[in-house]
Amino acid sequence: MKKCSGLWIGMVLFFLVFVGMKSDAFATKDSLVVGLVAEPVSFDAPQVSDANTILVLKRIFEGLVDVKLGTYELEPSLAQSWDISNDGKTYTFYLRKNVLFHDGTPFNAEAVKYSIERQINPDHPQHKPGVYPYAKGFLGNVNSIDVVNESTVRFTLKSPLAPFLQYLTHSSLRIMSPSSLKKWGKDVAVNPAGTGPFKLKSREPGVRVVFERNEQYWGGAPKIKNLIYVPIIEAQARLSAIKTGEIDLTRDVPPDSFEMLRKDPKIDVLEAPSAGVWFVALNTQKSNPPFNNKLVRQAMNYAVNKEAIVRDILKGTAVVSYSPLSPVYGKYHLKDAKKYPYDPARAKELLKQAGYPNGFECKFIIPESGSGMQAPVEMATVIQADLAAVGIKAKIQTYEFGAWLKELREGHDMTEMSWSPSIGDPDHMVYMLLHSDRFPPGYNTGLYKNEKVDDLLYKARTTADEEKRIKFYLEAQQIIVEDAPWIFVDHGKQTVVKNKRVKNFILTPNFDFEFKNVYLE
Amino acid sequence: MKEYLLKRLLLTIPVLLGVSLLIFLVLHLAPGDPAAIMLGAEATKESIAQLHRDLGMDHPLPVQYLIWLRKVACLDFGRSFVLNRDVFPEIWLRFKATAILTAASLAVAVAIGVMAGIISAVRQNSIFDAVSMLCALAGVSMPVFFTGVVLIILLAMNLRWFPSAGMYSPVGGNIYDLLHHLVLPALTLGTSSAAILARMTRSSMLEVIRQDYIRTARAKGLAERTVIYIHALRNAAINIVTVLGMQIGYLLGGAILTETVFSWPGVGLMMVRAIQARDYPMVQGGVLFVAMVFVLVNLVVDITYAFLDPRIRYR
Repeated sequence: MKKCSGLWIGMVLFFLVFVGMKSDAFATKDSLVVGLVAEPVSFDAPQVSDANTILVLKRIFEGLVDVKLGTYELEPSLAQSWDISNDGKTYTFYLRKNVLFHDGTPFNAEAVKYSIERQINPDHPQHKPGVYPYAKGFLGNVNSIDVVNESTVRFTLKSPLAPFLQYLTHSSLRIMSPSSLKKWGKDVAVNPAGTGPFKLKSREPGVRVVFERNEQYWGGAPKIKNLIYVPIIEAQARLSAIKTGEIDLTRDVPPDSFEMLRKDPKIDVLEAPSAGVWFVALNTQKSNPPFNNKLVRQAMNYAVNKEAIVRDILKGTAVVSYSPLSPVYGKYHLKDAKKYPYDPARAKELLKQAGYPNGFECKFIIPESGSGMQAPVEMATVIQADLAAVGIKAKIQTYEFGAWLKELREGHDMTEMSWSPSIGDPDHMVYMLLHSDRFPPGYNTGLYKNEKVDDLLYKARTTADEEKRIKFYLEAQQIIVEDAPWIFVDHGKQTVVKNKRVKNFILTPNFDFEFKNVYLE
Repeated sequence: MKEYLLKRLLLTIPVLLGVSLLIFLVLHLAPGDPAAIMLGAEATKESIAQLHRDLGMDHPLPVQYLIWLRKVACLDFGRSFVLNRDVFPEIWLRFKATAILTAASLAVAVAIGVMAGIISAVRQNSIFDAVSMLCALAGVSMPVFFTGVVLIILLAMNLRWFPSAGMYSPVGGNIYDLLHHLVLPALTLGTSSAAILARMTRSSMLEVIRQDYIRTARAKGLAERTVIYIHALRNAAINIVTVLGMQIGYLLGGAILTETVFSWPGVGLMMVRAIQARDYPMVQGGVLFVAMVFVLVNLVVDITYAFLDPRIRYR
C-alpha cells in the first residue's frame, strides 16, 4: 500500500500548495475589473443588440451627442454644438476638432457620414458584412447626410422626429473609424477603433476583454489605466467574486444577498431608479374575450398585490408602477395616475359588471429568464395566485426565452414583459410598447390600439416643443392607464455592487457603466 | 491493424452524418427564430424576412441541410450568426479550455476513483470499503450544478481558498493561476466520474482477485503490491478502460453544466449561449466537433485494449 499512500500524500500536498496561493494577486492598483453577466459578443457597434455588449462598446465608441452622467439630459460629445432648422427636419452638427480615432486617423465630417451611411445605404462598400437591427428604427427617417465642411455635418430627415438627438446617443449610432472599417471589413468586430476614453488592448474569448486608457482622449485621459471585463455567468459565482475582491464591480447578484453585502465593510451597494418597466401584457384584441373588455383588465389590475411582489420577491429592488413611464422621466412621468391599489373586492365587482361573476380561464405565458425580467417564474406564481383569488384561473406556461419570443408573436392571452429602454426619450418607451404601429413582431405585445393614443404618440414624436410633448405624453398615459392594456407591476431599480476602492462611480438611468472619471483608492 | 484502423475511421462517417442530421433537425424544429432574437424590439416583418434571406434561412430545410453539409465536407463550418465570425476557429479556441477541464477531471476521477476502487476491493467489507462505496453512491447521485455551487459557497466564498469563476485571474494569468482556477471545476466534474469508476474498479478487481493465477502469484511468494498492481490490475484494466472511455464522453457533456457554473470558457459555455440565441451554425458546428472527438476517443480506447491484453487482435 506504500505507493498508494504516496499518491494520496502527493495529492493533499498539491491541494495545500494551491490553498497557500491566496487570491490577492487580483487587486492591482490601476486596473478595474468588471464582472459581466455574459461575455461581449462583438465590437461592431451597429450590429450589437445585446445589452451586455453595449455596456462595453460604449467605452470605445462615442456619438455626436451623449447624455449627461446620471441623467437623460443631452450634452455635446463628438459634436460641440448643433442647430435644428425651424421645420425640425435639418440637423447641423459642429464637430469637435483635433480628435483622433484609436487607429490614429482623424475624426471629421467625412467619418461621420461614412460610419452612419454604412447602415442605411445598401451600396456602401461596408454595408454587406452585417445585420443592422437598429438601422430602420433610428435611421429610417434620415433622407441624407451631407458633409458641409471638415467639421460640419448635416442630417436631413424625411419628417420631423423629436427623439432624433436621443437616438444619436445610442450605441448603434456611434462613430467608427472609416479606415478601420475599410481595413478589417467584417473583422472590425474584433478590431474596433473609436474615439472613446478607452481602447481595446486584448481580447481572450470567454476569459476577459482588456481595455487600456486612451492617452490622447479629447476629454483628458481617464484615471484608470486598465479596464478589464470578465464574464461570470452564475449569479452565485458573481457574488463570490465581488466578496473575495476578484472583481470590483458587477450587477445582477441574487437580491437576497443584498443584506449580507450591505454589512460587508469592503462593499458598497448602489441603487438608483431606472427607466425600466415590468408588466403583464393583456391581449386586448377584439377577437380575444374576455381581455377585450376594459373592465376585466381593470379588475385584473385591482386583483394583483404589487406591493407584496416588490416587497417579498424583489426585496425592495423595484418600485410599484402605476403608468408606463417611471419617475425617472421627470416631467413626462404621470404623477397623478389613476392607481389600481390591491383590492380583490373591487376586482370581483368589476368582473361581475363585465359579465364574468365566476371568473374565467386563460393562458399565461412567461419566459424562464431574460434580461430585465427580474424573477419571472416567482412573480408569475404570485400573480396567478392573486388572480385565482378573484376567480381568474390563469394557466402558466413557461418557455425558454427564444421560444417565448416566438409564442409572443403567435398570439397569447397574457404574458409577462419587461422593457429597459436604451435611450432616454419617452418615445422609445411608450411608442415602442403601445402604438398600434408596433404590433408583433414589434413589442406592442398586448396588441393595444386606441386611436386617440396613437394620435397623441405620433404628435409627440413629431413635435419639437417640449411643453407640448409633455402634454401629449401625460394625456396619452392617462388614457392608457384607464384602458389598462397591462397589469402595471413595477419599475425595477438598478442595483450595482462595487468594491469600496472604486470611487466616483455614478449610476445612469440607461443602465450604462461609465468609467471616464472613476478612480481607484 | 492498419486495415482495422481504416475501417473504423470510415465507419465514423455514417455516425457523424447521423449526428449532424439529428442536431440539424432538433435545432431547426425547436421553436424560436434567430432573426427575431437578433433583431429584438426593432423587428419588422420585412426586416425579419430580409435577415432570413441573408442567413440563408429562406430555403426549405432539406436544402439548407445539404448546403451546410457540403460546406462542412470542405471543413467550412460556416459563420456564427451572433459573433459574425467563422465558427471553426471559435470552437477550436474554446475546445482547448474544455480539453484542459476534461483532462483534469479525468485525472481527478482516475486518482480518486481507481484508488478507492482498488482499496475497497482488496479490503472488501472493511470500514473503508463501506465508506468509500457510500461516497461513490452519493457522488453518482449528485448533479454537477449542485456540487459546483456547494464548492463555490464553501471553498471560494467562505474559506476563500480558490477563485469561483473563470480560467485565469482578471489580471495576469500563468500556469499556476490556471491550475488554481482549475481545482474547483475539475473536482466538481471529476468526482461524479470518480464515483462511477470506483464502483467499476471495485467489482472488476474483486472478480480478478478470486482467480487462480492470483492465488498462484501469491503462492510464488510475490509481494502483495506486485500481485495487486501488476497481475490483478492489468487484467481488471480492460473493464476500467472501457468505462473510462465512456466517461470521457460523459465529461465532455458534463462540461456544459460545469462550465456554466464556473464560467469556464469552453465549448459547453459557448454552446449554451449559442443555443439561447439560436445561432445554428455555431451549435451545429460545436455538436459535430464534440461528436467527432468522442468517436476518436472511443477508437483510441479500442486500440488500447490490444496493449492491455495481447490476446486481443484486430482484423
